[in-house]
Amino acid sequence: MTQQPIEREIREAVVGRYAARARAALESAGVAPAAGACCAPGDAVPAGPTKLEFFDLGAGTALGAACDPNDPDCAVDVAPGASPSSSTRFGTLNYEQTEGVPAAALAASAGCGNPVAIAELRPGESVLDLGSGGGVDCFFAAHEVGASGQVWGLDMTPEMIQLARHNATQVDAKNVRFRLGEIEDIPFADASFDAIISNCVINLSTDKPQVFREAFRVLRPGGRLRVSDMVWTREVPAAQARDAEQWAGCIAGALRVEDYLGAIRAAGFVDVDARYEETESGLTSAYVSATRP
Amino acid sequence: MRRDLMEILACPVCKGELTLDARSEAADGEVLEGSLHCARCDERYPIDDGIPNLLPPDLRREMEAEEARARGGGS
Repeated sequence: MTQQPIEREIREAVVGRYAARARAALESAGVAPAAGACCAPGDAVPAGPTKLEFFDLGAGTALGAACDPNDPDCAVDVAPGASPSSSTRFGTLNYEQTEGVPAAALAASAGCGNPVAIAELRPGESVLDLGSGGGVDCFFAAHEVGASGQVWGLDMTPEMIQLARHNATQVDAKNVRFRLGEIEDIPFADASFDAIISNCVINLSTDKPQVFREAFRVLRPGGRLRVSDMVWTREVPAAQARDAEQWAGCIAGALRVEDYLGAIRAAGFVDVDARYEETESGLTSAYVSATRP
Repeated sequence: MRRDLMEILACPVCKGELTLDARSEAADGEVLEGSLHCARCDERYPIDDGIPNLLPPDLRREMEAEEARARGGGS
């Protein structure tokens, strides 16, 4: 695939946005964010037990999710005057059960669905989360696979890895590990996982076919790909197509649903399917499932 | 980074095996500082504060340069 000149700019916009989100969540959890990519010794270890606070998921919960329709980068140019879709919910509104999940994990949640709900995880399975952020989906997955299973979160933002590790200490999630890496170059051996989940992240990649090829490689035969992600059900409006900030806000990078599923099939997956509801703007969140034969 | 979780990791570039070079270890066997070495690429992936950096090397260098620039800017 040819390098697009804007690729670097997009990547920086994405990392910048999510690093800021992670720093805010770390600060609200009383943890000093590391100055840079690497952490001063001791930073990852919280000073003492932090009181767990849980979000009230009632009206007015402000989560500042990346795909928040109230975010100007996300909504303004997509559907002027259109109300946010009733079917697309952002951040923690997708989780019916949030007890036991640290507030900091929920605060950084930028998902557009709940992939664990469709992943059919079983005890003992190995799961990889592409773009694990503050770790909220990993913690839900860890609950499903139990102590005999393993969950790995992969994220390219150092601050998110720091946040996820902090959150893991709060929920005592011994079977969850986080790694700093890219979803286009997954640092895991072939056929390592029973399931891959991802929540509103693949749209941010500038090379989605490569993400799906890598996902295929690290899944075992019979392994499941279960993701929620933003897709267009109509032609992508030209004005949005190459704006880095709108890319980081889950709009400009979103593919047409046919192209998204086509890229998954091209990687070798079978039983490729998407479930979504049409919206006025044409941008919607979809549950996508596929299987490595 | 724990030793017993090594086998699942692979070089992000060539997907080859990585060998662990531990410089400092916690009492529970957690490797805090060191590196993961890919013999095929002859590339070292640093482990800082227990977190292995498995970003592709060119990207890692870019980020490190960016950081150095940010620090040099007096921020």
